[in-house]
Parts: sequence; C-alpha cells; structure tokens
Amino acid sequence: MYSGDPIEAGLQQERGVLVIGGGVGGMRAAIDLAEAGIHTYLLENTPSLGGRVAQLGFMFPTHDCVLCRGTSDHGFGCTRPAITPALMDHNCHPNITVLTSTDLISCEGQAGDFRVVLQEKPQIVNASLCINCGRCAEVCPEIRPSGFQLGLSSRKLIDKSAPRSLPNAYYLLQKTDRCEDCRKCVEVCPTDAIDLEAAPKPMEIHVGAVIMAMGFQPFDPSEMPELGYGRIPDVITSMQYERLASRSGPTEGIVRRISNNEVPKRIAWLQCIGSRDQRNPYCSSICCMYATKEAMLAKERIDGVECHIFTMDERAFNKEYNFYYQKARDDFGINYTRCRISSVDEDPETGEVILRFPAGRIHEEAAHGQGAIQEERFDLLVLTVGIRPPKDAVKIAQQLGINLNEYGFCETDKFAPLSTSRPGVFVCGAFASPKEIAETILDASGAAAEAMRIMHDQLGSRTFSRAQPFLSLESGSTVQEEKPKDPAISVVLCGCAGEISNIIDLKTIADQITHLEGVKKVEILPLACLQDGKQQIRDLIRSNGANRLVIGACSHRTHEPLFQRLVAETGINPYLVEVVNLREHCAWVHPQDHQGATHKAYELMRMGIERIRHAVPIIKEERKPVRAALVIGGGVSGMTAALGIADAGYDVHLVEKDNELGGNLRHVYYVAEGDNPQRLLRDLVNRILSHERISLHIRSQIVRHTGSVGDFRARIRSQRSNGSFQEEEIRHAVTILATGGKEAGGSRYLLGKDPRVIPQSELEQILAHQPERATRLRSVVMIQCVMPEDGIDYCSRICCTNSLKNALRLKMLNPDCQVVILYKNIITYGFREKYYIEARRRGVLFVRYTENDPPRVRIELSGSRLKTIVDIQENIFGRTLSFEPDLLALSMAVQPAEDTSKLAQMLGVPQSPEGFFQESHLKMRPMEFADEGIFLTGMAHYPKFLEECITHSLACVGRALTILSRPTIQLGGVIAVVDPDRCTGCLTCVRTCPFGIPEIRIDQVGVGGLDGAAWINPARCQGCGTCTAECPARAIQLRHYHDDQIRVGLGQWEQPLPELAAD
Amino acid sequence: MKPDPSFTPEITVFACIYCGYMAADTAGSLRNEYPASIKIVRLPCTGKTDIQYLLDAFEQGADGVYIVACSLGNCHHEHGNERGYARMLQARKILESIGLEPERLDMFFVSGGMGASFAQYAQEMTERIRQLGPNPLKRPFPIADFEPHPTS
Repeated sequence: MYSGDPIEAGLQQERGVLVIGGGVGGMRAAIDLAEAGIHTYLLENTPSLGGRVAQLGFMFPTHDCVLCRGTSDHGFGCTRPAITPALMDHNCHPNITVLTSTDLISCEGQAGDFRVVLQEKPQIVNASLCINCGRCAEVCPEIRPSGFQLGLSSRKLIDKSAPRSLPNAYYLLQKTDRCEDCRKCVEVCPTDAIDLEAAPKPMEIHVGAVIMAMGFQPFDPSEMPELGYGRIPDVITSMQYERLASRSGPTEGIVRRISNNEVPKRIAWLQCIGSRDQRNPYCSSICCMYATKEAMLAKERIDGVECHIFTMDERAFNKEYNFYYQKARDDFGINYTRCRISSVDEDPETGEVILRFPAGRIHEEAAHGQGAIQEERFDLLVLTVGIRPPKDAVKIAQQLGINLNEYGFCETDKFAPLSTSRPGVFVCGAFASPKEIAETILDASGAAAEAMRIMHDQLGSRTFSRAQPFLSLESGSTVQEEKPKDPAISVVLCGCAGEISNIIDLKTIADQITHLEGVKKVEILPLACLQDGKQQIRDLIRSNGANRLVIGACSHRTHEPLFQRLVAETGINPYLVEVVNLREHCAWVHPQDHQGATHKAYELMRMGIERIRHAVPIIKEERKPVRAALVIGGGVSGMTAALGIADAGYDVHLVEKDNELGGNLRHVYYVAEGDNPQRLLRDLVNRILSHERISLHIRSQIVRHTGSVGDFRARIRSQRSNGSFQEEEIRHAVTILATGGKEAGGSRYLLGKDPRVIPQSELEQILAHQPERATRLRSVVMIQCVMPEDGIDYCSRICCTNSLKNALRLKMLNPDCQVVILYKNIITYGFREKYYIEARRRGVLFVRYTENDPPRVRIELSGSRLKTIVDIQENIFGRTLSFEPDLLALSMAVQPAEDTSKLAQMLGVPQSPEGFFQESHLKMRPMEFADEGIFLTGMAHYPKFLEECITHSLACVGRALTILSRPTIQLGGVIAVVDPDRCTGCLTCVRTCPFGIPEIRIDQVGVGGLDGAAWINPARCQGCGTCTAECPARAIQLRHYHDDQIRVGLGQWEQPLPELAAD
Repeated sequence: MKPDPSFTPEITVFACIYCGYMAADTAGSLRNEYPASIKIVRLPCTGKTDIQYLLDAFEQGADGVYIVACSLGNCHHEHGNERGYARMLQARKILESIGLEPERLDMFFVSGGMGASFAQYAQEMTERIRQLGPNPLKRPFPIADFEPHPTS
C-alpha cells in the first residue's frame, strides 16, 4: 500500500469510494472525489499509475503533451504519468490512498455499503524506502523487453517502468527461480528496501460506491496474420508508433524503421484494424484522429516524408477536429485513400512493405481507372489498431456482478450512461465504449458525481487544505508568520546514501557555505528524506532558532513538498524553504568530474542560500464559498446539472429563457437505441419542479455576472406572466453554462422554396406523429452535412445517427420505400456502427458525395406535377444518379444558441471558431474554463447525443461539488502582485497575460496619484510571471520569484575561499 | 584563434519548472553526462525570463546564457515560452550592440522526457562558449585549487 506521506492511520474507519484503474480516467475520478472531501482508494493492478495515456506522446488536435494543464490548482510539475500534483509521491492528496500492484478479489454488499476484498501483490521493493538510486537495476543480470516502451527497448527485471513513474520507485517485474540465488539487488540496496520474501497482503475496505475505470486493450493484430505483424519487421502497431514519436520514447521522438534503424521516407497507416469488421462490428472512435496526428507528426519532423492513410470514412467528429483533418489533407499533404487493403507483402531485398489496393480511390478524386489493382511500397506500415474491452473485463464483471454488453464492454443505459447494472457501481472511460481522452475525463468526473450523490452525507467531511503550497489534511492555515525576521538559515546537505556524497565533496561545501551571509548552521546528513533524516532536520531547525531552510538534496520537483511539510511542522512558513538539486542536476550527470561537480554544487548552494535569504513568507487568502450554484439553461443538460447539485444538498438557481423547461429534448420523439426520450423529459421536469433546493427562474435571463470562484454575483431578469419585468440579485459559488444549441436554418437545396424539402427534425415529427403518411412515401432522400450558406464547415456529430434512426423507422413502417442517404462521411462512432450496418442490411442506399461536388436539387415540371429531382455524381461507377424523392430531408448543422456570444462577453469566457463556448483545454479540461468556478456542458460545448449531454452535465456537477463542499477555498500563493504606486496603466500586462487576467481598475490609484492601475485577481492568476517580465515599470512582482531572489548569483561562478579549499 | 585549454565556461541556464527543469531531472535519472559548466536557475515559466535577467547574467560575468523551455505549442502557460523567445532575441540584439557575441545567448525547447537532448545542449553550449572564450566583463579572480574530498 502506498499513500500520501502524512496520513497512515485511520484510513479504514469511514466509508470511501473505490476507483478501479489508475489511468487518466481513474485518476481524474479519484481526484474529484478527494477534492470533494471523500476518501478514495485508487486501485491499479500494475505497479505504476498512468495507464495508456502515459504512453502517448502527443494528443490530437493540439499536439500537446501537457497533462499538467489537467489541473486547475497552482501546483506545478508536468505530472505525467500522474495527472496533477495531487498524485505526486510527496504531495499525494490526503484523501487518496493509492493501491498499486493490487487486485480486486470480491465485492459484497449494496450501494452505500460495499465490503471489498483486495489483495496486494508481494511488495518486493518497498516504495516508501526506495530512493531511486538505481543500483539494483545496475546489478540485475536479467534483461526483459520494456513494457512501457512496448518492446522497443529493454529493461532489467528490477527497474522502473519509466523515469517518472508513479509511485516513484523501482519494482521487480516478477520473481524468477534465479532471484533466490542471485540476491545482488538486495545486497546493493542502500536503504534495505528490497525483500525477496515479501508475501501478498489481503485487505478489506468499506466503500459506498465503486467506479470502474479500467480502460481498454488495444487490438492485437497478430490475430490477423495477413497483415504481416510479427512477420515483417517494419509493420508496427499504432501504439508502438506513439512510443517512437514520443519524446520520452526510446529514440526521443525520432521515428526509425525497426529493420535497419533508418528514418522512413514513406509511411502508410491502415485504419480500422480490429474495428468495423465481422468480429468487432463497432467503431473504435479515436483511430481516424490519432492516425492523422501520427501522420502530421511525421510530416513535421521528417523532411519530405510521404504519408498515406488507407481508410473507410474520415471520422473527425469533435470541436476543431474537422479543421485539423482539413489541415492534414490540404496543408500537410497527407494522402487519404478510401479502401481496405488487398494484401501486405515484404520485399525480401529491401525490407519494404508492399501494399496492393484498388486504384482510383484517392480522397476527393473522381473515379479514373477504378477497379484495377495498384501497388505501392512503404518503409513503414502502421496498423491503426482499435479498442478492445480490457483484458480482465470478464473477470472483474463477475467479481462485481455487473453485465457486459454484446461487445464485451460494460453495459450502460442511454439515460444513465455512467451507471452499470448493479446500483452503486459506476463506469467511466473506454470500458463503457471506445472513446478519447476528453470524453474519458468527462465520464470520470461524472462518475465521481454519481458516487457523490450516494455519499452526499460525507461531502466535505474529510477536510483538507491548500493553505500551504502542499496539500494538507487540516483545514485553515497553521502557519501564520507576521513579519519577515532577519534571515537565520539552516543548511542541510544530503548525501543520499552515497549517491551525492560519493561524487560531491560535501565537507568542503559545508565549510565554504558556513561563511555565507545569513547562514547559521550547516549539517551533512547521510539521507534526509527518510524518518531519521527528517527528525534530524526538525531537531536542527529547533535547536538553532533557524527561520529558513536550504537543503541540498534531490529534485525540487519531487521532494519540495516533503521538506515544506517538515518546516511547516516547526512553525516556519513553507515558502521559506529551498531545495537545491545536487543529485539529478549535479552528482548524477558529472560522475567522472568530482572537482567540477563540487564546484558546481557549491555554486548551486550559494544561489539557493541567496534566494532564500531574500524570500518573504506567503500567506494565502481564504474564502468560504457561497453554498449555491447558478445553472443557465433548462434543457436536458441544465436540468441534469441542477438536479445533481441539488441532490447533493446545495441550492441551485436554474434559469431558463423559454416558457417551459426541456429545450431541444421537447422535439426528440425517439432515439436510435429505442428508449423513450419524452419519458426522460417528464421525469426531469417533475423532479426539478418538486425539488426543494431548486429555484426555477422561467422566462429569465442573466443580465449581469461578476465575481470569482466561490463568490459570484448575478442579476436575473425575469418576465412575469403579465409581461412586466422583475430583477433579482443572487450570490453563488459556481456557474454552469448549459445554453444548448439549435438546428441551423438557411435555404440550401431549395429549403423553404419547395414543400418537399424539409429539415431532418421535421421528418422525425412526420414519422412519429403521422406514420400513415410514411406508408405512402415511395422515395425519401436525405442529404447529410448541410451547413448554412455563411457557416463554417464542421461535423455536427449527431446527424448521421439521427438520419439512420429515421431511415430505419421509415423502412420499418414502409419496407418498399426507397431510402437514399447522400453523405460525405458516415459518423457512427462507437456502438452506433450497428445502425449503419442495420440500415445497409435493410436496403438503405448510401451514396457518397465530395465537398467540391455536392448534390444538386432542382424542380422539374412533369405533366401537370412539379417533381423534385436530386442529381449526384457517383464516383465508383463514375455516373450521375438522379432521384425523384417525395421528401428530401436535410441534416442541418447544429449551431450554438443565440445568446452564446452575449453570455461569453458577460462572463469573460472564450468561444470556439464554430461559435460554441471554448473550454480551458480541449482534452484535459473539457467541462471548465480557465476561470475557476465556471463550467460548460451539453450542446453549449458542441453538438452531442443525449447520453453525452447527461455525462457532460454530471461532470460539471462533480467539479462543482468539489468547490461547493469545501469549508474554505484558498486563493493566492505564487501569484503576480501589482504595486499600484509604480503602475502607469500602460496595459502591457493586460496584453501580455496568456490568460487575460490583469485589468485596469479605476478604484486603484496609480503612479502620481492618478486614478486607474492594473489589478491582478488572486483567484485567477496562474503564477507564470509573464507579465512581470514585461512590465516596463517593474511594477509587478511574482511572489516567491521576486527580482531580489532571482537577480543574485546569475553570473560568473564564485571561487571558493582558497585557504579553505586547500583544506 | 585557438581556445584556451584551461578555460572552463561558466554558463547560466534559465529553466521553467515544467519541461525545462524536468528534462534536466530526466538527464539525471538516465545518467546522461554533460560538462559541469552549467548552473540552472528555475523560473515558474520561461515567460518569466526578463531581458534584465539575461543581461544581469552577462554583466555579472557569465560566459554564456541559455534558456530551456517547454516545446513550442506545449507551454504550460499557453505561450509563455514564445514571449521568452522574443525577449531572448531582443537581448541578443542588445548584446550585439555592446560588442558581445549574440551566440553566447540561446534558447532550447524540450519536453520533460528529453534527458539526452538536455545533456546534448549543455555539451553544445559549453563547446560553443569554449570557442568564443571568456566573457570580457568577467571580474578577475585568483584561480583556486579545488581539491575534492569525497566523504562517501
């Protein structure tokens, strides 16, 4: 068992939540629960957290690796593979117990009261004693392929999974017979952390809810020998490609051929390997995008490389994805060919991979010479493997007593998308259906919200605090230092069990720095981070009356919270401790150069001491959040969000501009899955109307919105039934935008001019309310992707499934009716592929058109009747087809609601190019804005299905409850502060800030007593310091990085005092 | 001009606590060796790199200065590293105008996993500064004999 440093005892007393799976989804869910004050067990059966995402180099479509953006707190550290500092070893969230290398055994009981039996695998390396010196791996004679690098490099039997694994410790892959005889690792370990006789440890925990976040298993292409995987060296899987392209991969991001290590000149990707076929009849949802990403990365890094993607449809169905795909095709010159491959062979001479495929299917081209078999050669062939259910899905499903669906994924309900068949057990991420990171994050926060609903009596009960720079269990700040005293610095030099002291002459350094200004006492410790060392540091501080500490040890990134916590215990402000990295930055990189390393270490220590000599204490502001939320929009998303928060016991103001609740849901009569959406609507409305904690504001709009997280104010303007207006002022801690979207209008394809041309929604009404009319129809044509004339092109995500739903209903009512769907790409991702297969089986005709050659609609006089004629160029036969439909249904784009721009301006939140609200980070923070406390959900984010709206809203609830349930929230810390006396109001900071936070406030008095000076909101500042570096008057200082602390010792290296150096 | 073999460059590195500092940590974990000629000043983001800091370093006698930031497009603070880069270019112009070689100042973009690259840049910069010779603004100091005594 491994848990955050400070808390060990008392974990088993109260009920917690069990999260199964330590990937990105599990970590997100655990953190949300922990932040809401609920104790969470994070179970992972491998030795490290991180899951699949830790193996990915870059995310589409932003090409960033920044999991660190996943956190909204001011903690630091790109935390891959952890998701936020809340999971770093020495700063683990006090409410999270991490259980790595642990398996689930059984789960008895019911929602709110589960008894779960777990078994920890033998902990041969005790992670809490491991100092990461690596001596065990050095002496280990057994070499294995690296699992993290997917066999592209090797590791020792005892090793780390990756340099920054979490827990940050070595582990033994598996004990072999030879281990007993060898025992070399046991001998060399300086902290006796290795015990080859360790036994498995059973344990029982008491939880109220279980969240399954077990992720997925990539499809194994050796099941399809015709693809040559395992036989032809240069045929690799897309996951292996990710490792090659990753900067933490075996080649630091340079893609090389496996056969000869050369940089490839021609690379091909084969899509839908293990998806959309007979055995796996669903779409894996993510492969089109990640293959595009991989091809773009190749283009960016390899001069003149040719990239070919062989695909069936191009499924780019989320915000910005369509632009991304267009950029890949048009600007990067990536070739998309629409076909399955006929054969894969190897040229034995050159090792090249030979592909044969039908000619003439290059994207957007007409069909010249189609049908003939074409042959092309590639240096590298990437198999874009699909998503399979996790390996142990069946076993865990049995242990937990939940149902799996026909594909082996977790069975869920359309209207309760995160619930399983067993109450109290929830699911998130790819185990529910194939999905990408952003949706996994949404699922995770949403599943956390569902667990919070069950455990609502415990919300906020395990209070923790961010008053300190690290996470602590007690609330409120214990350290209150009034005025900075004269610096009295204790210095500790850690030998790190020889890792530092064998290279660096700590004695000389100690002698030298004793003479530096402010230094009271210098001590060399053999190992500062374990129990003995920590006690020695406490004693040192107390016995010397020191008020600051500088410690020369290992990385500031990993160990600063440990030492901060230590000094805070002794009553020193934790911002008055400085960790100087003598290990990773010095001893480990200069092992041959003792003299140089010692000189450098002295210089680093000198800078650290100067830095802390000028440091000042930092005390954060505290604020008690108002216990109420504002939800704008009364559709399915807004209602779900309002109910989630109200059920947890907090007040909600629900604002709806229309006469009644329901939004678009009022006009959805049936769904592809067969459930009845009108029942969902009635249920939601009834629950809203009868909920004591929900104040419903109907016919109302927000006219003003100010404040920041925990303390917003809004003015609601409502129209009374007599037509007059009234205004009300409310206070709330969080705001959720659920303003929805709407079906676009326009006049394309004769819409509005010809009565036979109708929007898809009208066809749905006809099929629902006038089925007898459907039986008289002889021919119905549907045109997909109808953007308004002035609109930009993006995929509205829901229209393909909607059209298929209507086509299937039509075929059911009237099997003889000809149904034709004219499309660009059929976007039936995930299990929706079923309806595409079903539609084709029932004889629905699919004709593809291209962007440059859309269908043409005309009216023709035939005898006395006017006929509607649709002409389309069909590219496989190379002919123009003409249809004469009785009805022509247009799948109109979904656009943002009218008030989106107005609200965006009022709340100061950005909009996407499509006009929807733009979240803070496309992948890692899909439910929130950079401004803490404001969330977005549903179609206000992007067009989405009902179940996706519900999930998105639950995710907002989960995040909102982390704020609402906190006794206090802390603001400030390392933030930029303006000295108004020096501010001329030049606006430089306003323009420079990457987050748009500084503002010129009239209530501030600037230089020369003039009104107006810059002000930086401590609740919003991210602490990057960009403004401070650009302020021409140097009027802004970043706390903890004050000019006085940085502008010392920047230049030439100080020579040690000769008389001492010669010692 | 042949470089003086007794000259050991003294280089100041500004690194953000995200990718820059982490790449240096990774270099350590992977034991990627490089010359003991660089010292790292950590900043919250390379957007905090002030032209003043860069010039301070040269004025205080650093032979070379470079900045290590997150990869372009991957800044934790959206585009702090781009602001830092613009300031580095500006500082180079100032160096040129006072007669210092602008190549003494540079900027590298790495991801936290790129330990080998971090070591390689340290090597490259050390070599480059060795060729350029000491910073003429350096104060003279008696060369001390710095004998190590490992305490093991």
